[in-house]
Parts: sequence; C-alpha cells; structure tokens
Amino acid sequence: MARPVNPHAMTPSRPGRTRTAPPQAPSGWYTQPRMLKYLLFDATGIVYLLVGFVALRVVWALGSGDAAWAELLRQLQNPLYIAFHVLALVSVVFVAVRFFSLFPKSQPAHIGPAKPPPQPLILAGLYAAWIGVTLVVTAVLAGWVL
Amino acid sequence: MKHLLLKLEPVIWLLFGQGILIGTMLLTGWILVVGLGVPLGIVSPDALTFARAHDLASSLLGRLFLLALLVLPLWKGAHHVRSLSIDYGGLGRDTAVATVMYLIAAVGSLLAIIAVVRL
Amino acid sequence: MSEQKKTFVVTRFDPDKDQAPRQQTYEVPVQPDWKVLDALNYIKDEIDGSLSHRWSCRMAVCGSCGMMVDGKPSLTCKDALSDYGDKVEIAPLANFPIVRDLVVELEGFLEKLKSVKPYILRAKERALEEGTHRQSPEQLEEFKQFSYCINCMLCYSACPVVANEPEFIGPAAIALGHRYNMDSRDEGQHERNEIFRGEGTVFSCSYANECSEVCPKHVDPAAAVNQAKFNAVIDWLTGFVTTRGGK
Repeated sequence: MARPVNPHAMTPSRPGRTRTAPPQAPSGWYTQPRMLKYLLFDATGIVYLLVGFVALRVVWALGSGDAAWAELLRQLQNPLYIAFHVLALVSVVFVAVRFFSLFPKSQPAHIGPAKPPPQPLILAGLYAAWIGVTLVVTAVLAGWVL
Repeated sequence: MKHLLLKLEPVIWLLFGQGILIGTMLLTGWILVVGLGVPLGIVSPDALTFARAHDLASSLLGRLFLLALLVLPLWKGAHHVRSLSIDYGGLGRDTAVATVMYLIAAVGSLLAIIAVVRL
Repeated sequence: MSEQKKTFVVTRFDPDKDQAPRQQTYEVPVQPDWKVLDALNYIKDEIDGSLSHRWSCRMAVCGSCGMMVDGKPSLTCKDALSDYGDKVEIAPLANFPIVRDLVVELEGFLEKLKSVKPYILRAKERALEEGTHRQSPEQLEEFKQFSYCINCMLCYSACPVVANEPEFIGPAAIALGHRYNMDSRDEGQHERNEIFRGEGTVFSCSYANECSEVCPKHVDPAAAVNQAKFNAVIDWLTGFVTTRGGK
C-alpha cells in the first residue's frame, strides 16, 4: 500500500525514455514509532514558541510594577497554565534527550586546528551541563541561594 | 523572498541550534520554578516576591539570562514548525510559512529585548 | 528439508499497459536460508518471467537491489527471509519515480551526486616529480567512514525531506561531498560549501536520522550532513573575514 509524496521527488532534470509512475512512500511510513518520535520532536517547536511568549509575558509583567506582577503570579496558578507548563517540561526533557543523543556525531573531525573531544565525553558533558545549569537556575529562582 | 531565506539559513540554523542547546538548558529550571514550583506552592512564594524577582532580573546576569531564555526558544520553535509544515507535504507553502514563522520569532525577539531593557 | 510457503505481494507497473502501479500476489516455496532476493529470483525464474528487478553482487556491496520490504527500505540480498512473516510486501524504493515493476529512476540521484563535485579539487595539480599525496592514518579516519557508501539509495527512501523537497541534495550525495571536504588532499571546501548553501541546501535536513538507521554500510550519512552544516556555517562566517583571491 502506498501514499503519494511530492510528485517531483528524485525526478531527473530531463525525462527518461519511458513514462514513469510518480514516487510513492509506504502508507504506514509516518506512523511507525521512530518516525512518530521525529515528528513529535518537530512538534515541540509549537511548545517552545508558546513557552517563549509566556516567558515574555512574565518578564513584561515584572517590568510593569508590583500590581502587574502579583496579577501574573495569580494567573500562573490557573490549571491551564499548570497543564501547559507540565507539557512544556515533558517537551523540554524529550528534546534534550533526543538532541543530546544526536549532537556528538554532528561535530566535524576538526575545525581549523581544533578537534572535538571523544563522543562519549561530549555526551557526558552535555548531560552534566544540563543538570548543572538546571540546578543553578532552580536554586537561584527558588531562593535557595542568593 | 525564497532567495533571501536561503541566504539567511546559516544564521537561522545557528539561532535554532542554540535555541535547542542553550534554550533547553535554561528553560528546564525556569519551568520547574516559575511554571510549576511557585504556582503549585512547592516552592515558597517568598522566592518570587516583586522585590526579589525584580532585583534578580534587573542585574546584568539576570538580564542576559532572560534575554537568552526569551529569544532562543522562539527560533527553535519557529524553525521546527516550518519543518513540520514541510514534513506534511508543505513545499508549496514553505516560503510563506517560513516567512511568517521567522517574522514571529523576530518580533518576539524584539519584544524580548524591550522587555528586558525596561525592567 | 521442510518446505515452507510464503506469500509475496509485489508492486507491478508496466508503463505500456498500466495506468498506475498495481499489486500482484505470488506463492513461493522458500528455503530457510534464503534472502528476500532469492524469493524474487524464484518468482522471475519459475513463476512470472515478466517481473523486473535490479540486483547484481548478492553480497551487499553493489547497491543495486534496494527495495521496500514490508514498508522499510532494505537491500534484498542482505535481508534474511526468515526475519519476515508469512506475507511479505515488496515495493520499489520510496520517493523515486518508478520505471517498471521494482525498478526506479536513478538519474535524479546521479545528478545530485555529480552536483557536489565528488573528486579531489586542487588549486594547482601536484607535479609528478613530487610523488603521491601523503596522508596519515589520522587524516584518513576523518572521512573514511563516509567513503563506504555503495550508492544503494536506501537513505533517500527513508528521508522525509527527500520525500517533500525535490531540490534537496540528499543524504548520500551530501555525505559524499563531505567526504571530499574532510579529505586532507582536497582544496575545494569553499566551492562545495557554496553548493551546500545553495538551492539543494544541507540546512533542509531536519535530522530525522532515518538515513543512518537504514544505511546497510554504517556510513552514518546523518552525521555527515550535520557536520556539513557546521562546516558550511564556518565557511560562511569566515567568508566575511577573509578575502578570497579570484576562485
């Protein structure tokens, strides 16, 4: 079973000597698990956009004075906002895990004279940085330090 | 427009890449505290009183942190929404979608700069 | 020897007779050690001589026998039939125009390969008296993996960007261009990086990683493409800083 793809996919600049059937892909292509994970990865873009604009609202309120800030904090308690931030957290973790697994092999063997560290080290470094930064940000924002 | 988008791709890719890398790292703590911790009462509300929050945010480090937090995820988001559109057979509408998405990211970035400066 | 039968649902297309591709079913007695290709050859030899399919080396080095088996791109000479169930679907490689039955149009792929200038480019050819280029094992390691591509095109069938963006250069071709960019003997990086930022732009790759998942030779084209993005950006940035002499 097949589904159509872009009708010009992999088509040469000059037609061949016989009539060809248009390119196709298997019908279950977009629903196999690995492909779904990839599409989900792209879909987190929507969440990132929204998180960015919510954060913008937060900072804007902070710059608008005491009353605006109190009002914003109150709004953040709305169950819809909470649910959104849970989704955002899940998205961020999903993105991090997938991206970290793909990042080490995407470093070229050298850029000028500089060489990247071995791939397992890059992976460990990414996770260490993520945990470290998260701890610091959490501690500062939550008032445990500073 | 298509040619302009092609010329800008290296820049967009850099912003998008940092949106994933730096943006994700910064967002985790932010969501944990500002999005969930304080609103759910897990973190004491004293952490984000106006006085404390404004002090933290208006420091140099605070402004830089917020600038990165506000700007970078927008570019990751815009680029991936454009990718998603192409994944679903959207080549025909790609120039339009890309222009709209990157404009949204650009406008958001501009607003972010204003928001951080006016703190 | 026990005789097992499997059912094969094979895509057929004769441009002189068929409006569109159709499917035809064959019952094949299979041996336990067969690859998918053996079943296809049995169909052609014993059941239906009109079936057209490409194959050559029978040992996963020529890249001719790529097809969709049960919806996944695979080399039919490499995949064991015992890995599949009693009903096996065989279709031509996804994302390629279909010439006939299981044979796809290759020319588009060859054009993309040519477009990345897959040969050593030097400003000035080395004189014979100077002898051969010297290259250390470390320098070889930097691109060796990407030279193992057998041009089987499975990665093009797996790639969602190839399916949606006809201009995209594609995994194997970018990996090949990157192979030359990373070759210490080559001096054509700037030229190739301009091609990589052009119409078929490497930045169209959305890092689905499907190409590397299906590659039978472990070339890891996804790594090549994303390394190429990095190099293309560095090349673009340094273009602002340095001036190039009339290349």
